[in-house]
Amino acid sequence: MTAAHVEPLARAAGNKLPRAPRKWQSKALLAVFVAYVVGVVWSWMYIDMTLLTLFGGFTELWNLVVDMVPPNFDNMRVVLKATVETIWMALIGTTACVVLSIPLAFMAARNTTPNPVVFAVARAIITLTRALPTLVLAAVLTLPLGIGPLPGLLALAIHSIGMVGKLFTEAVENTEAMSREAVTSTGAGKWQTVLATLVPQVTPSFIGTALYRLDINLRESAVLGFVGAGGVGFVVQQHLRSLDYQRAIAAVGVIFVVITLIEVVSTRLRASIIGDHLSSPTKKTPRTMARERRDHRLLVDAVTTRRLTPPWTYERLVRASAGIIYLVLIVVAFATIDIPYLSALGLGDEVIDSFGRLFPPDFTTAGPELWQGIRETVAIGFIATTLGLVISVPLGILSARNIVVNRFVYGTTRLFMLALRGLPELIVAVLFVAAMGLGPVPGTLALTVGTATFMAKLIGDALEEVSPEPREAVFATGASRAQEFVTSVIPQALPNLVSQTLYMLDVNLRSSTVLGIIGGGGIGFLLLSALRVLQEPTVGAIVIVIFVIVYSIELIGTFVRWLVE
Amino acid sequence: MTTVLSGGADPLISLTGVSKRFPNGTLALDNVSMTVPKGQLLSLIGLSGSGKSTLMRHLNGLHKPTAGTVKVFGVEVSSASSKQLRDVRRNVGFVFQQFGLVGRATCLENVLSGALGRLRGPRYGVWSYPRTLRREAFDHLERVGLAPQAYQRADTLSGGQMQRVAIARTIMQQPQLLLADEPVASLDPESSAQVLELLLKVATEDKMTVIVTLHQVELALGWAHRIVGLRDGRVVLDQDARGLSQTDVMEVYRRVDRESELLATPSTPAAAPITERQRA
Repeated sequence: MTAAHVEPLARAAGNKLPRAPRKWQSKALLAVFVAYVVGVVWSWMYIDMTLLTLFGGFTELWNLVVDMVPPNFDNMRVVLKATVETIWMALIGTTACVVLSIPLAFMAARNTTPNPVVFAVARAIITLTRALPTLVLAAVLTLPLGIGPLPGLLALAIHSIGMVGKLFTEAVENTEAMSREAVTSTGAGKWQTVLATLVPQVTPSFIGTALYRLDINLRESAVLGFVGAGGVGFVVQQHLRSLDYQRAIAAVGVIFVVITLIEVVSTRLRASIIGDHLSSPTKKTPRTMARERRDHRLLVDAVTTRRLTPPWTYERLVRASAGIIYLVLIVVAFATIDIPYLSALGLGDEVIDSFGRLFPPDFTTAGPELWQGIRETVAIGFIATTLGLVISVPLGILSARNIVVNRFVYGTTRLFMLALRGLPELIVAVLFVAAMGLGPVPGTLALTVGTATFMAKLIGDALEEVSPEPREAVFATGASRAQEFVTSVIPQALPNLVSQTLYMLDVNLRSSTVLGIIGGGGIGFLLLSALRVLQEPTVGAIVIVIFVIVYSIELIGTFVRWLVE
Repeated sequence: MTTVLSGGADPLISLTGVSKRFPNGTLALDNVSMTVPKGQLLSLIGLSGSGKSTLMRHLNGLHKPTAGTVKVFGVEVSSASSKQLRDVRRNVGFVFQQFGLVGRATCLENVLSGALGRLRGPRYGVWSYPRTLRREAFDHLERVGLAPQAYQRADTLSGGQMQRVAIARTIMQQPQLLLADEPVASLDPESSAQVLELLLKVATEDKMTVIVTLHQVELALGWAHRIVGLRDGRVVLDQDARGLSQTDVMEVYRRVDRESELLATPSTPAAAPITERQRA
């Protein structure tokens, strides 16, 4: 009897229980959405950006463009030298970060960590290093280390640990355990086993991550000069300060070309080093077929003669030469970069001293300004994201091959976006500041451009991947092009769009903490002025505030992503 | 027969009252005792989850028993120092169902990793092993018929070929004891026959003691000296393979409560110890 009573109850509970969390989650999602809308409205009122200022901005920008033509290349020696320094900084910074991240990753990966304390510490280091933007870190490091590339590359190295360490850890955790158990069973020691089984599995992904980070660091190191931390950014800023726009745009052009070139090379390298089928390419050309024949002959020779070292197949040659080129470059970088190694060794104490002077942080001296800076930073992030999204939708649609049938339209749109994405956001921002003067509006516009081009690319790609079957079905009912687009394309692409918007908000809020350093509004401006007058406790306070902003964004972002999934 | 079952004067393996409870509460082994003499070919049978793999993993210290002692080559594995454990492992070859090869490494490298127990210090890549060992690895690959694939990546091979590379890696170890945990379960019938034949040929040529878990009863009966059946972590059958019929063995696989029935029929004298335990 009792059982009969219990059963319907249990079934009812069983029906209810799994639904309850979903309800709670959708409420939370709604709250996030409302909060976003409120944030945007409040930000718009706070920055007081009207459409008029926007269009006014465009005339000012046009004036700047007119002033920049024709570019003046007579200062190329200085620009090229500074650009080379920029590259070396990115290279050394990334290398240092990789060297530090490898042991951290093995300590932070669940399957290799030696003990829980080491695990927690390694995880904490990886999370915390990410929370201080490179430019802020570089600016603070110039206090003890002085002007030059050293604080810049240290900042690059430290900040990159956050991303590189995280991706490395994931790579280690994603290895399969069978081979490890098998090699342990042969009586191999712990490190022998790790080297024989885990390392071969993670190497390609480690290299891919490192190359990807090199791209990012190159962009970052191009703007480090704004705070005197070395590289070509300093040259750009000097020319802008002296209103020498023609030389400034020449330097910007060099930055653009170098960044684009290195990105192309590293993308190809990444594809070929990670690619599992380097030796059997998908495209059969006479060249690749000759290559395959040669590889095959080498392999056959190697086993018939019982060669005791692996034969020099194409794949091995490519890898070895990439490795040698890298080694040569890093040696040249270390040898030629302007770092006083010997005296730098003695600077350790000074760094500790100088960080000590940041404490206890002084929140009162800059109190009201600090509060204003925080609000401005948040407002810039919200407006840039929303405005960027609004602009990106038409741009993205124009760049989708399967929506716009006109080849010329999507071609030029894609090219235009590629050009804008090729420049680091802060370079765009510094040009906008030069055109419109100090304040949050140029900073916001720069982030808007970045967001719009990034999102437009995503939208374009997403639209091109939209499956054609529903579209055909709708067309078959006799719908117009516009009707078809609204009913079948948009619903398919929407979920991805929402999560990417959140991601951009995260990115933009981070960027807006540093915009002020170049006069683009937000809390960064305070940081720079406090640094100039050496108010170290105030610097400490600002750094802590930035840290808290970025860290909370990260937490909120993780929470919302969890909600969406 | 008694000598085979209880072991000679010098058993290679002896388990006394071994029980294993995993942190999640599963009792994988329940008071298992047995000895295995040198040179015996023993086949473990039983349903998935009956504790066969767990038992194997106790023999080279991959798992530690919750109760009881595991002695291999006279070393108590459960309390051995990490150096002693490495010594034991070096002499125990382990062949896994999923091969346990490093897919991105070449076959030669995979075989060479079998020599790590003999070497000091970490190794990475073929060049980091002594030339004599490289020559030896080539020989072992030749023995399993895969010398032509020496410089091919392991993940380009078929399942049967991968298991043969794993066998070559085991030979590289020169073990006295070979444990094979369902070595042919992921292979198609044709290659499983080939691989099993190769495994046994190598093991007998090199005078190894072998413990293998198999699902194919007819295979097990065909070549094993002794059959041990496990169910829910307990030994329910422990007999000389001669005189054992396929139906007797199949009883071990009966999921439903046929256990009492099996034990009630005193068709074979070896069932006696189980009956005793059952009554106790």
